[in-house]
Amino acid sequence: MSSHAATGHIDHHHDHTTSTGIPNKKLLWWAFLASDCMFFGALISTHMVYRLNPPPGNAVPTQVFNIELTSFSTFILLMSSLLMALAVNAIQRGNVKSTRTMLLGTMFFGCIFLGGQVYEFEHFVHAKHMTLSNSIFGSTFYTLTGTHGTHVAIGVLLLGMMYVRTFKPANGGGLFRNFAHLLTICVTFGVAFIWFVPGLIEVVYGLPIGDLLKRAAIPLAVGAAGLVSLFWLGRTSGPVEFGEKNAIDVEAIGLYWHFVDIVWIIIFTAVYLLEYL
Amino acid sequence: MSAPATAPAAAGHHEPSKFHFYIQVAMILSVVTGIEVVLVYLPLAKWFVVTTLLVLSAGKFMAVIFYFMHLRWDKVFCTILFFIGLVLAGGTMWALLHLFGADAAKPLTAAALEMARLAVA
Repeated sequence: MSSHAATGHIDHHHDHTTSTGIPNKKLLWWAFLASDCMFFGALISTHMVYRLNPPPGNAVPTQVFNIELTSFSTFILLMSSLLMALAVNAIQRGNVKSTRTMLLGTMFFGCIFLGGQVYEFEHFVHAKHMTLSNSIFGSTFYTLTGTHGTHVAIGVLLLGMMYVRTFKPANGGGLFRNFAHLLTICVTFGVAFIWFVPGLIEVVYGLPIGDLLKRAAIPLAVGAAGLVSLFWLGRTSGPVEFGEKNAIDVEAIGLYWHFVDIVWIIIFTAVYLLEYL
Repeated sequence: MSAPATAPAAAGHHEPSKFHFYIQVAMILSVVTGIEVVLVYLPLAKWFVVTTLLVLSAGKFMAVIFYFMHLRWDKVFCTILFFIGLVLAGGTMWALLHLFGADAAKPLTAAALEMARLAVA
């Protein structure tokens, strides 16, 4: 990319310094995603094979699933993909402030999705008595959706690292501040998807808000403190190193994020919707 | 819906903004997801619903990889690389579902297993 920087023109799609004309980072991510396709292909196949011939005593999916919540989660993940695409669009135009906003939005939507999954798993285990080991359906379902959820959580962490990177001062230094910023993001978003979002869903389904505040008072207070710190650390003071030249880095993380979205598109149809026929 | 023109933006070296284009794609994907959910509750033939769901999901999948993941504007090598993984994954799924969909692959119940054991004895 250095040759582009010298001429003042940045070509985000073609890198003439590589033999393929594609930036190495992008090539690496596409190769990784191709291999991840096979990984998820194997997990989805396993789930569907056992659904073809369910053993006696297996859980009945339509009695376990909550299709309204899953549809909402699917919509949220689609909207997070939109925000990710807008983040890439913003950094390609050199708009760092907008990139930060879009990255935060993507992480927030990712946390809503994860919170929905935490609620779903908790509900399935405690209310529907479907655990990882008491039925084949539970084993394949939790393995598949849990692996996808882990991918989403890793995506949120990667986005958090990219968000913090946008604050790196142009004159160097700021390592401690950046580390504190990342730690704050991990705490705030961790509280959001483990306690806050599942708690809100329970409130929607009838839990008194007072019970939620009593049950998760400490984590929610820590999360609120983290949110305040996030705003405080997010104040910019001076020029930053991050800019249009980093578009390929944001795009690479974006590829991963969109990938978890397309995997969910398949899971939503194959694992959830087809059960209702 | 049409892709934005590739002419340079007013700023000169910046890429043209695809903001409205991405919003349009996301709205279409949301509507398709809504149609999918409603479709499973409609009193239609099962083969029709399954086929429609598969087609709609494939359409959403392609929209995300070609527009949001920029494959449409990237070098064709990225598309080939990703589709190698996708075809291998799809082929594996197809093979496994056919192998385990055969009658001989159906697991025996406890009673059938006991009968088979007695027959051998």
